[in-house]
Amino acid sequence: MAEVAYVNASRIFSGNPPVRAVDQLQLDVADGEFLVLVGPSGSGKSTALRMLAGLEDVDEGAIEIGGKDVTNVPPKGRDIAMVFQSYALYPHMTVAENMGFALKLRGVAKAQIKEQVAEAAKMLDLTKYLDRKPKALSGGQRQRVAMGRAIVREPSVFLMDEPLSNLDAKLRVETRANIAALQQRLGTTTIYVTHDQVEAMTMGHRVAVLKDGLLQQCDTPRALYDHPANAFVAGFIGSPAMNLKTVPLTAEGAKLDGIVVPLSRAALDKASGESLGEVTFGIRPEALALVSSEEQGMNMTVELVEELGADALVHGAVKIGEGTERFVVRVDGRTPPTLGQQVKVAVRDTTEIHLFHPESGDRLEA
Amino acid sequence: MRRFLDRHWYAYAMVLPVVVVIAVLVLYPLAQGVYFTFTNINEANIANPVLDRAASYVGVGFRNYLKVLSGDSSYGAFWSTLLRTLVWTFGCVFCHYTVGLGLAMLLNRQVRGRALYRVLLIVPWAVPAFISAFAWKYMFNAQFGIVNQVLRAVGLPGPVWLGQSDLALLAVVIVNVWLGVPFMMVALLGGLQSIPADLYEAAEMDGATPWQRFRHVTLPGLRSVSSTVVLLGIIWTFNMFPVIYLVTGQNPNTRILVTYAFERFFAGASRDYAIACTYGVLILSVLLVFATVYRRALRKQGEVW
Repeated sequence: MAEVAYVNASRIFSGNPPVRAVDQLQLDVADGEFLVLVGPSGSGKSTALRMLAGLEDVDEGAIEIGGKDVTNVPPKGRDIAMVFQSYALYPHMTVAENMGFALKLRGVAKAQIKEQVAEAAKMLDLTKYLDRKPKALSGGQRQRVAMGRAIVREPSVFLMDEPLSNLDAKLRVETRANIAALQQRLGTTTIYVTHDQVEAMTMGHRVAVLKDGLLQQCDTPRALYDHPANAFVAGFIGSPAMNLKTVPLTAEGAKLDGIVVPLSRAALDKASGESLGEVTFGIRPEALALVSSEEQGMNMTVELVEELGADALVHGAVKIGEGTERFVVRVDGRTPPTLGQQVKVAVRDTTEIHLFHPESGDRLEA
Repeated sequence: MRRFLDRHWYAYAMVLPVVVVIAVLVLYPLAQGVYFTFTNINEANIANPVLDRAASYVGVGFRNYLKVLSGDSSYGAFWSTLLRTLVWTFGCVFCHYTVGLGLAMLLNRQVRGRALYRVLLIVPWAVPAFISAFAWKYMFNAQFGIVNQVLRAVGLPGPVWLGQSDLALLAVVIVNVWLGVPFMMVALLGGLQSIPADLYEAAEMDGATPWQRFRHVTLPGLRSVSSTVVLLGIIWTFNMFPVIYLVTGQNPNTRILVTYAFERFFAGASRDYAIACTYGVLILSVLLVFATVYRRALRKQGEVW
């Protein structure tokens, strides 16, 4: 058990110009916490994890595990275990040998290895497969062996690099829950990398969003969803993505297709303080609702309806300023509008509106 | 049957030329060679159209085998020659493998000028074997050879390398190692590159030292490549004629089974074809037995091929 800290840690890949894959990362992970690093491809999340593992150099700053600076400590001295995306199981060893390898290298007695492996196998439902080679296992079983290999060592930190991305959708959801439960039970500090924001939201105690090597925001899933720090986080977290449109600003609010959506005083003050004529207006699909034609709202032409069963996603075009913008609205799945239909869309609650600086993308209002 | 032919005639037609070629080039000579081992055929009694002489050799049953297997030195001292062949084969293949693996490991990482090294290391393979053999023969020359010049330059005695001593065997082993390493290196480099990098990372996370990573990741990862190239190497070296014959000629200290078969066939007062063929059949049998045992041993270890 240990806390983990990135202290302004950077990883710079040589090249012309050099690439800052991870740029001045400042992140503290509490003991026993499940932290998810999430971001699009190339955001540096895997590099950040590998820096913690010791597989990647730290060019600037430091990394601390359990309060000790481990920046220059090789992986074997860090007391960490890692689950790889490809699982990286040793193909010539049986499941039991794979799981016990680290213990064997450490010179643990055979009987004790066997006992610890058996215990981990029981936890992961692998007891039946202990004598098999990885080749003879299904994808889900291999994934569990990779988990088992990490658990057996009882490390102070688990690192997981997209461990679910090679599983099919159903198994992924199942395994997601299992990993979260397992982590809860073991109480081991866990850093988990994924590009899937649903995984991030459902598993993490806290989620750190990265983009281009820079930490955008690190907070609880709920806080990320409710108060994204900038337009990138707003668009990245939540599925389907938040509607983010640049709209003209008036003295009362934002102008959308003739109607003016009232905005909070604080936000308006901040915008006028920076003398912005436009603002990036964000509203989640579930914060929009279809209303009857008498009520006030934006006129939208339905272009696509995605029926998900419980609800439906309506994609449509709305006039904003000179051009049109596409909006997504989450509606009741039982009564979706039809293609080409004209519907009226209103904001459910003005507190669910997010405003961002049109250039920097930073959140306006606290 | 008709339907079978109707459906598959094309496949058989395609295979036929190969079957004919193999039958003519391999099976017929093989059968004839085996037949000769049961006769006393030699230069004196073979059919000779120039002298207008009909064949007069007769069957002798297993007598050729008895003569050879008795280990009599007038029939090539079979058992000691076999022993020397085994020493030669395993000595060469062991060095091929270890040196080839070492070089492959050096080349399997980012080094400046990697492509150049790769080409240079393949050169021995690209040069025709007889040219290399002659080059080495001169390099081993006791008086003028570069090997002895270097040895003398550092104050060591320059021995007679290719004389009537076991040094000659060492010399041909060195030549053959030089010739055989590139093949091993290329094959093993291919094998090394097929080992996923994250296995090494996983082993590093598991706390493995570089040596342990080599033992538990590299060697097992190379196993299928290794088992194939080692088998090939053993078969090739067992029958490696040109190097020995061109470097040391008919030196009894470097005599292996296949060079003795050649000597018996082409040299000596009476060219004894029957004994040469007997040697050929015995070599074939030894290799067949070896390959079978080898494969069985691999299968026991869970290798499938």
